[in-house]
Amino acid sequence: MSTETLRQRRTRPARRADGATINRILVRIFIGVGVVLALVPFIWMVSGSFRSEADLFGNPASLFPGSITLHGYESVWQQLPFLRLLLNSFVFAGVTTLLTLLFDSLSAYALARLRFRGRTLCFILVLITLMVPFQVTLIPVFIELFHLGWLNTYQGLIVPRATSAFGIFLLRQAFISIPTELDEAARIDGASHLRIYWSVILPLAKPALATVAVLNFMNLWNDLLWPLVVTSDPNMLTLPAGLTLFGGAHVTDHAVLLAGAVISLLPIAVAFFLAQKYFVAGVSTSGLK
Amino acid sequence: MKKRIAAAAAGAVVLALGLAACSGTSSSGTGGKVELSVWTGFTGGDRPGYAQIVKNFNASHPDIHVTMTVQPWDTIGQKLPSAWLTGQGPDIAAPSPDPNAIAQYVKTNSVLPITLTGDGDSKINVDKLAPGTVKEFTYGGKLYAIPANFASLSLYYNKKMFVAAGIDGPPTTVAEFADDAKKLTIDGGTTQSGLVLADNQTIQMWPILQWLEGGDIVDSNNCSAVQTAASQKGLKIWGDLVAKDGISPVGLTGAQADSLFSAGKAAMEINGPWAAPGYKSAGIDLGIAAVPTGVDGAVTLGAIAPLAISAKTKHPQEAQEFLAYWTSKSVQKTFSTTTGFPPLRTDLADDATLKADPVVSVFAAQVPDARLYLPKVPNATQVDSDAYTTMIGQITRGTDVATATATAQAAINKLTGCTTK
Amino acid sequence: MSASTITGARTASAGRAPASPRRRTRWSPGLLFLAPSLLILGVFVLWPIAQSFYYSLFDWTIGANSQKWLGLGNYVALTQDPHFWNALGVTMVYTVITVVLLVVLGFLVALALQGEGLITRIVRSALFFPTIVSLVSIGLVWKFLLDPQIGLVGGLFDLIGAKPIAFLTDPSLALPSLIFVGVWKSVGFAMIIFVGGLKAVPAERYEAARLDGTSRAQSVWFITLPSIRPTLLFATLILTIQSLQLFDLVYVMTGGGPLFATDSLVNLLYRSGFVDYKTGYAAAISWVLFAIVMIISGIQLRLFRYDDVD
Repeated sequence: MSTETLRQRRTRPARRADGATINRILVRIFIGVGVVLALVPFIWMVSGSFRSEADLFGNPASLFPGSITLHGYESVWQQLPFLRLLLNSFVFAGVTTLLTLLFDSLSAYALARLRFRGRTLCFILVLITLMVPFQVTLIPVFIELFHLGWLNTYQGLIVPRATSAFGIFLLRQAFISIPTELDEAARIDGASHLRIYWSVILPLAKPALATVAVLNFMNLWNDLLWPLVVTSDPNMLTLPAGLTLFGGAHVTDHAVLLAGAVISLLPIAVAFFLAQKYFVAGVSTSGLK
Repeated sequence: MKKRIAAAAAGAVVLALGLAACSGTSSSGTGGKVELSVWTGFTGGDRPGYAQIVKNFNASHPDIHVTMTVQPWDTIGQKLPSAWLTGQGPDIAAPSPDPNAIAQYVKTNSVLPITLTGDGDSKINVDKLAPGTVKEFTYGGKLYAIPANFASLSLYYNKKMFVAAGIDGPPTTVAEFADDAKKLTIDGGTTQSGLVLADNQTIQMWPILQWLEGGDIVDSNNCSAVQTAASQKGLKIWGDLVAKDGISPVGLTGAQADSLFSAGKAAMEINGPWAAPGYKSAGIDLGIAAVPTGVDGAVTLGAIAPLAISAKTKHPQEAQEFLAYWTSKSVQKTFSTTTGFPPLRTDLADDATLKADPVVSVFAAQVPDARLYLPKVPNATQVDSDAYTTMIGQITRGTDVATATATAQAAINKLTGCTTK
Repeated sequence: MSASTITGARTASAGRAPASPRRRTRWSPGLLFLAPSLLILGVFVLWPIAQSFYYSLFDWTIGANSQKWLGLGNYVALTQDPHFWNALGVTMVYTVITVVLLVVLGFLVALALQGEGLITRIVRSALFFPTIVSLVSIGLVWKFLLDPQIGLVGGLFDLIGAKPIAFLTDPSLALPSLIFVGVWKSVGFAMIIFVGGLKAVPAERYEAARLDGTSRAQSVWFITLPSIRPTLLFATLILTIQSLQLFDLVYVMTGGGPLFATDSLVNLLYRSGFVDYKTGYAAAISWVLFAIVMIISGIQLRLFRYDDVD
């Protein structure tokens, strides 16, 4: 028995090395294919936004334009109050994200650190809201906003979105993973909960906050139905909502539609490259327990 | 890090306040003018025509300022019912390209009965509008909308492809139509389609084929007519042309069919006047002809988009003035010449300028033969989506005509409340 | 189960840090911290849901003066509506296949890419990129890519001499195509969640296993998977909830067709509410969907024995 084990031990590393090389190559191929598959549609999208209809139909197998036309971008520029839409999008996504960070982290602090009656109930209520498809509440919310006089206003766009169940959930998990010794020490020093929240917990949860900020901003930026419902004034539309004005049953100008998609993607793509470490390492460091 | 976030926060808030202030002042700074807002879904090639109407109206009416917002029909359908319910919506809107949509808004008391009717340019000349259109928008003796446009469908064809196939001119009878569609199809449709037919998210093309063959969708009692012998025969002929001869790809949306034609991948398409500008600018050697005559004579599909006033508008008088302007003789004449749409008014039918226009004349000439799709049929949108579109989808994918029509018949009769059969 | 943990925690904390005399009541700080979020969620999510349930008891169109009390009539009508059963089937097939593929692929990719090398990070960014793009844009791009006439995919078929396949207009291929796009979009998201979970597994566990001569596959099965159970749950739960709400892709790519092959529950809800204007009926569909999401989430929480809320 002991010799057997010994033999196994001796032979296994050799076999494993061979297997490992093959494995590693297979994994690389697998990943390589994945990267190509992930990026080619975007290359095609950008190139398509510069292609004429004739080129598109003539060379469907080509990834690059035969000749470059700016017609798609010109149409978008001419027909939309473009800068205004851009500004609206930034205000909507930016302010809402900041408020969300504040409200979500406050809630998460309560759920992670404070003991009080009804806490479980509150947490369950928050989780329930995570499961509600937006279409379910569309009509009642619209009527509420009307009664509040908030249609076509920034507060109407922002306030109902200023907290997210997903953010509360994520931040709560992150806060729980922070050792309690730190805030207990602060409490012994006489610090209030607000103070512990602000100067102990928040600084330690920066990566998680960044993740929530980035995911939230992204979702809000890409949101289509909400701005469409709350705003009817063309000066209040956001970029993605404005770009839908190019759709229509009998309109197909692929270059214009793709140019619209590229334009709405561009700011978020820039944000992605700047905040990449939060996107890509974000959920990882938030300490999902 | 924290500082940067704080700075960004402060910046964003200032920006938001500034914007709020801006939008506040801009809406109140128009000084005594009556502001009217209009929503429409005219995103096609006819869009500039409507914009022109609004622009001219604003120029000639110093006390009224109209702002038109164009958005896809889907978006309007989503927002308008609740917007009008809460009084937040536009003063005037084209709720849908489907004239039946008005019924819904009448039921919910969302639309204003139109009373500013009579003679002269300042009133809506109901007598001069095509009678079918007025009837379509009258409920309980009251008129609730005016037609924003009246489109008849014509046959668009690619002259170059006809020459290449050795065909002299556009088909004039339904038999030639079927023949030509087959002849113009190359490689079973992979290289070139003979006749592109859209069956979803589109202006309906299939009803025309059915009417041409003597069939129908519902009869005068709103009972299904898809199962009649004539209907089945027509569906069989054209269903086979698609499923077996490949004259058109299956399951196209309107937009896909249009782009196939404008890319020079299809020889014929049945479409409305809005498509002409796009096809011309795509460089197609374009011919426009009347839809070929059917077994019972000439027929095509007519489409009316309604234009209605919110029951909660603060300016019913001005809103109706705008509609009167929209339908007035000189405005309609300009509109027809710029967009190719047939004029709404009967007193423009013999207008020399319009008759000389190669595009308008084709569409206008077919107006007397144009039939509406499911006019005032109960639950028309569901008859379309659940029964008719499904049936066409099945037949073009090879389902036996008798089976498909039997299912459709049951579905239609259930939806329309037909009980006689 | 949760109650006991909480009581336990409460006594523990009370034992360590005696209740501060400055706290006026036991519960007020907690609720105060929660107040802004609860107010917003209450007013703009929970109350509207309750209203939507009220609507579902009537034969009602938004704006109509008359509404007819139906009781549970709309729900009974649902069980007799073939479109409902079809939509339920479409939604379930999409959800099950998409979530399984996402969890498996996301986990495998995360295993391969959990390092912190430059190339690994770049590759992770590339794979994550589709996640940041709106579903509407993605739907549009894939709709064009899969178009037999203009699409790259069709073009490639053409190059090798095959007849282009009409992915989105063939009833048997449309749903698989949507599943493909759904997986393509979210696999990076799943990967990132798993990378996080993997990093949290203490290295000592693997060390110990390696000394025992455990193979790589064995260590994944016996050490990694049990260690990342909470991550697995989180990923499954979030992805399931997202998938059950399938709408944007359908709306942009197929409109629910061909022949209802991709008519998801939310799409049916949308058509009933905003095309046919049957507000009451649409509200009933939305409540059934809501119930399904809750039941499935509940089952998942159970299956993973995620039995402490803390």
